[in-house]
Amino acid sequence: MGWTGTSVRRKEDDRLVRGRGLFTDDELEPGMLHLHILRSPYAHARIVRIDTAAAEALPGVACVLTGREVAAQCEPFMQIGPPPCDKIRDLPMAVDKVVFQGEPVAVVAAATVALAEDAAQLIDVEYEMLEAVVEAEDALSDRSILHEAAGTNRTWQGVFEYGDVEGAFRDAASVVRIPRMKFHRFASTPLEPNACIAEWTRQGSVEFLCNNSFPGFAQQLLAPGLRLKADQLHIRTYDVGGSFGNKIWNYVYMALAALASKKAGGRRVKWTETRTEHLLGSGHGNERTYLDTEVALDRDGVITAVRSRHIDDCGAYTRYEPLGCVIWSQVLPATYKLRNMRIDFTQTVTNKCPVVPNRGYSRMQQLWFMERIVDICAHELGIPADEMRLKNYITQFPYETPNGCVYDSGNYPAMLAKGKELIGWDRWQREIAAGRKAGRLIGIGIGTTLDSGTNNFGQARIVNPFLPFSGNSEVCTMRLDIEGAVVVCLGTTPSGQGHETSASQVVADVLGIDPSMVYVRPGFDTAWNTFVGHSGTYASQFAVTGLSAVHGAAQKLKAEMRRLAAFMLEAAEEDLEFGTGAQGPEVRVKGTDKAINYWYMANLVNNNNAMLDESLGDVTLNVRHVYRPPFKVPDTERKFGNLTLTYAAQLHIAVVEVSRETCRPQVLAYAAVDDCGTLINPQIAHGQVHGATSHGIGAALMECLDYDETGNLLTATFSDYCPITALNIPDIAWGNIETPSPFSYNGAKGMGEGGGAPLHTMSAAIQDALHGAGVIVTGSHHSAPRLFEILQQPNRDEAVSVERRGGKQGRR
Amino acid sequence: MYPAPFRYHRAATLDDAIGRLVGIGEGARALAGGQTLLVWLKMRFDEPTDLVDIGRIPGLDAIEHDTKGVRIGALATHARIARSPLAKQIPIVGDCANGIADNQVRSRGTIGGSLAAGDPSCDWPVLLTTLDATVHCRGPAGARTLPADGFVQDLYATRLEAGELITGVSFALPGKGSAGAYVGFKRCAPAFPTSSVGVQLTLNGDDCTQARIALGSAALTTIRAQAAEAELSGRTLNAQVIARAAEAAAAAADPVPDQRGSPAFKRSLIDALVKRGVEVARRRARGETVEVSHEYY
Repeated sequence: MGWTGTSVRRKEDDRLVRGRGLFTDDELEPGMLHLHILRSPYAHARIVRIDTAAAEALPGVACVLTGREVAAQCEPFMQIGPPPCDKIRDLPMAVDKVVFQGEPVAVVAAATVALAEDAAQLIDVEYEMLEAVVEAEDALSDRSILHEAAGTNRTWQGVFEYGDVEGAFRDAASVVRIPRMKFHRFASTPLEPNACIAEWTRQGSVEFLCNNSFPGFAQQLLAPGLRLKADQLHIRTYDVGGSFGNKIWNYVYMALAALASKKAGGRRVKWTETRTEHLLGSGHGNERTYLDTEVALDRDGVITAVRSRHIDDCGAYTRYEPLGCVIWSQVLPATYKLRNMRIDFTQTVTNKCPVVPNRGYSRMQQLWFMERIVDICAHELGIPADEMRLKNYITQFPYETPNGCVYDSGNYPAMLAKGKELIGWDRWQREIAAGRKAGRLIGIGIGTTLDSGTNNFGQARIVNPFLPFSGNSEVCTMRLDIEGAVVVCLGTTPSGQGHETSASQVVADVLGIDPSMVYVRPGFDTAWNTFVGHSGTYASQFAVTGLSAVHGAAQKLKAEMRRLAAFMLEAAEEDLEFGTGAQGPEVRVKGTDKAINYWYMANLVNNNNAMLDESLGDVTLNVRHVYRPPFKVPDTERKFGNLTLTYAAQLHIAVVEVSRETCRPQVLAYAAVDDCGTLINPQIAHGQVHGATSHGIGAALMECLDYDETGNLLTATFSDYCPITALNIPDIAWGNIETPSPFSYNGAKGMGEGGGAPLHTMSAAIQDALHGAGVIVTGSHHSAPRLFEILQQPNRDEAVSVERRGGKQGRR
Repeated sequence: MYPAPFRYHRAATLDDAIGRLVGIGEGARALAGGQTLLVWLKMRFDEPTDLVDIGRIPGLDAIEHDTKGVRIGALATHARIARSPLAKQIPIVGDCANGIADNQVRSRGTIGGSLAAGDPSCDWPVLLTTLDATVHCRGPAGARTLPADGFVQDLYATRLEAGELITGVSFALPGKGSAGAYVGFKRCAPAFPTSSVGVQLTLNGDDCTQARIALGSAALTTIRAQAAEAELSGRTLNAQVIARAAEAAAAAADPVPDQRGSPAFKRSLIDALVKRGVEVARRRARGETVEVSHEYY
């Protein structure tokens, strides 16, 4: 494999760095309408009256839509969750009441975007305030119910129990109890906000140019929602400026743009989200509370069991949730070998922005939980953090977890060794000891994490046994174009991951040509017939599903070319070889100068077929390959089965000092070791590691979507939310190991989410820095004001307790 | 994110601008760099009928200094001030100019705009109060000068009269033994500071003959920490004296709780920043070159 493993320069960059990319908002044409969404200022309120007359009368306004009209033309979107989720009436616009601040209550389509906003200001909405519930535990009391038809805010509950939990606690040498921990709400904030252009055509179909990142799914929701057939939706993407999962959810807004176009007589309607809209209403990451956690350990500090209650806060609508209620269990025991676990998992709606898959989706919440457990136990039992991990790491692969997931490959101790070397572990131990003597709050922390990729949609059935989903798949279509060019179409929606480049590398390796000779079409297009229901870019899987589809298609094309060449060259197929000759890419008879180039092969099939023998009647040089990972439907009763195909791993180490003056946590050194199996394009992988690390550091130190008690978002602008930028990213020492996956053809593992590694790492380092001050880190967000509060009132006495028992050896 | 409709006027001269502002009356706003005003318009917190752009009036952006003092035109941008020889000669000016927002904003925002905005989080009012600067104004009634201290009267309210514009600021060159520092703390570059502190000391060795301390983001307006100044003036500086001054400054603050932190956190920051500012000012008075500005993650 000549091109695989080399840092081929990214093909996409040529147009992107020259400003020649095409992002949805770049598309502009005369007569296009612009959509403005009027959003609720309140988190929970009844809509008493809406008067749109003044807005409609404003010159330049094409139409105004309210919830009533939308409800009359739409079917509520399908809900993934089991009862009571099925009772939730999920429409793209609020009808009788609003359930989160920022929920759409009306839209205006007008000649300019400014005019649309002027008109929206003239819409008079009378609200009757209702009590908002913003805390998950409060919401579960059902004192104020969001979706009255559902009758409760509790949208999902299930117990995940494996092994002999009671026995392990009975036999434990020590039990560590952590009453409460909390993973905060943030979102990874793509540079390009959500956007779409919709045109309801005269033929009754809808044309979309958008940046949705999971169009295979969006189409299945949008078509019935808009009362159309799936094939009547033509969905395209082109350049997309980041997604991180957040853009899975923008089908809701695509529906609004489509309905506005319909009402405006089929004119194209463009909607581009503003930053504040993005922060208010585009989708946040899951917020999770961990209650009554108990950890059983044996005499050696080996964790034997964990039991806990988790409450997940999914915001106002369940939508793609409650998939998050099972997705975390892909990494149930994290990187640790304990066999006994019991997690009682509940999800609730609250009067906050709905959550959406966000880089590290649902798994990072579980990994953070497990990493906190490991660190808190290590500190309380006086075991160094690195030794604690070595005692507990899984070391044999493939490894079947207690819930039936199969970790394909890995070497966590080697990653730890490499991380320690990169950061200079021993030197820092000395500096930290000296620093502490001088009164400095300084610590070092390890975060081990898993980026489980290529999900088995069968896990959805653990949430709702009646869902018609399982497995996974991705498509590639490939053809030798009429002039002999290799043209590749993908079913994915790249948003910066360099799919055009990596796909070219794979094709080039199969055909023995240069990647520059392979043309991969940018973007996604339902008209290419290159998609299935799973198509999109999410769940860390392109290197596996996407490239396996590309590889399969390239092999099919190669087989057809070989037959064609054998006929024309009058040679046996096994005597042929693929390569590049004087007339470009060709197939030749080994050891001779007899060859046929790609142009002639394409010419024969497309323009010149009387030359061909009947036996070649099925050769079209236009192939389609669907890759399907080898999944089974999980056992939904036991909540058992293989939920993901590959497990990339990250091991990060940070040295952090908390300023005694300002409480600012400062990263003094940072090392990130990655293992995503065989690297396809090391530079792209490195870039993804850097991006995921930066996002995680931002989430840990800066970014938090804070609501006040009325459900008012306090961080609705960038100057309040403070997303991480280049100015805040520390130098990151990067290292890599490769443990090839036995389950993918190329040994690659999906990657890019990074499992939120820095969140665990920062919590661990700050724990180490502040443990001496009586602080147990039980939250994932470490802004200076929060650290100030905790240093004012050290929490160790309430945050953790340790019960040590004499005698029996704990069981494994 | 799009302003309500307004009429745009480009003033050719100062008198032209004043004339238009007076003529249009209540619905008019003066536009300089737009750092504050444009954000307000985009959020529709303010919907003026007319904007009078003063940004191209010639002669209002000069940065001059001679042996007697310094004069900075109202339209001088933060970036130009940061790059000027003045910022090197009087490091406290550089501390302030370099620390405002990010590069893009520094290239647009002006010193006059920062004062006129009347925002307690703006940096220049704090710095100019620390340096006991004078604000030069001109309006329909002619020119006048006002002290920077107290120029911002209340939240978003200044002493400017209707139709009156800031034309520049001036302050005396710090004398022998006088040095200062402007230090702040914020969450990230484009965020407003959580707290900021300006300190200007006149020192003879470690003996402090004069001290001025001003606080930003510490109340509804810029405030002078006179009790803290009194702890330093006439005393020999040592850790105990400085700690008392810092404590007095924190006590003088009346910060509001918000996203940036609780009042207790902000007071503790002020305490830390006063200590840091005094320390830097002392070192600078001894002739050391010290780089400080806003600290953030």
